[in-house]
Amino acid sequence: MELSEYVQKGFQMLADPGAFDSNAFTLLLRAAFQSLLDAQADEAVLDHPDLKQIDPVVLKHCHTAAATYILEAGKHRADKSTLSTYLEDCKFDKERIDLFCTEYQNNKNSLESLLGSIGRSLPHITDVSWRLEYQIKTNQLHKMYRPAYLVTLNVENDDSRTYPEISFSCNMEQLQDLVGKLKDASKSLERATQL
Amino acid sequence: MLLDLSEEHKEHLAFLPQVDSAVVAEFGRIAVEFLRRGSNPKIYEGAASKKGRGKLNVSSDTVQHGVEGLTYLLTESSKLMISELDFQDSVFVLGFSEELNKLLLQLYLDNRKEIRTILSELAPDLPSYHSLEWRLDVQLASRSLRQQIKPAVTIKLHLNHNGGHNTNVLQTDPATLLHLVQQLEQALEEMKTNHCRRVVRNIK
Repeated sequence: MELSEYVQKGFQMLADPGAFDSNAFTLLLRAAFQSLLDAQADEAVLDHPDLKQIDPVVLKHCHTAAATYILEAGKHRADKSTLSTYLEDCKFDKERIDLFCTEYQNNKNSLESLLGSIGRSLPHITDVSWRLEYQIKTNQLHKMYRPAYLVTLNVENDDSRTYPEISFSCNMEQLQDLVGKLKDASKSLERATQL
Repeated sequence: MLLDLSEEHKEHLAFLPQVDSAVVAEFGRIAVEFLRRGSNPKIYEGAASKKGRGKLNVSSDTVQHGVEGLTYLLTESSKLMISELDFQDSVFVLGFSEELNKLLLQLYLDNRKEIRTILSELAPDLPSYHSLEWRLDVQLASRSLRQQIKPAVTIKLHLNHNGGHNTNVLQTDPATLLHLVQQLEQALEEMKTNHCRRVVRNIK
């Protein structure tokens, strides 16, 4: 994990009981996790009365350092020993290391989930709707009498802002072909997971 | 149901009895070919001039009208899917010889199915299914998260639209894939229900 001097300095300040007492340390740590994981969090996350006596510049520095480190650790799936080693290097005492690791463990799943959801991917199918119709005539062709399906795939793009839909028509044979192929894919998937 | 032929149409077709049946058969073939591939004005010139089966001695316009009249006769009959009897009665009003009537009827019956297929392509068209390819992928890492195991199914959906070919590359997760299969199987099952069978039986 590549961590900058800025992060290291921030942690060294966090390690100092003179700058952050136990209570303030815990609060800042929680605030860092909250800023990252809570969608509604904003700058007010640092507005706690017990943090008021600390210089706001220092507060911001440590908060940023902690958040940066948490993200890097999450990205690389750091284990407890990796975390402890780094925190020791930053002069954390045992109590603070344990506190950090516990908080990290509590939030690990949400963190990894968040990081995993960031990134580019192909448009993702989320649902399908279908319509069965019986075609009787068009203005070009009378006496048709055949069934047809209209299938719509609901698709999500990775920026979650556009929701294009893909619609197409097909007859029974074509739908059977489509379903057959999708079933092949899911059987393959089952077999792959059993390996 | 009888075909309603306009005066102009009848005029155009009036050219047909003036030539022998081999020529009418040839025009019939040209008409169907035009329906398949689009019209080709050069053919009218060739047929009107001294080329082809002897001098026709008519303007290419007349030939064109004749062929177009024949085309319209065939497409209208095919569209409405009129019975043999109705076709014969509709053509009767043109006052052609019995041999010519027989020829026209045969032309209609022989080409009806293909013409209906061509006409069906003129309908308001949604993209239609062509084929589907799939691939199983497992995402192992990304820039923001290492050491992942994230299975996904990548799908390439081929659709036809307005004569062109569209390809959509999409992805889905295993759970959604199962859901898709289940939903679409239900859709297929629907045709076998009593309700649908009754409708198909009764709307003719």
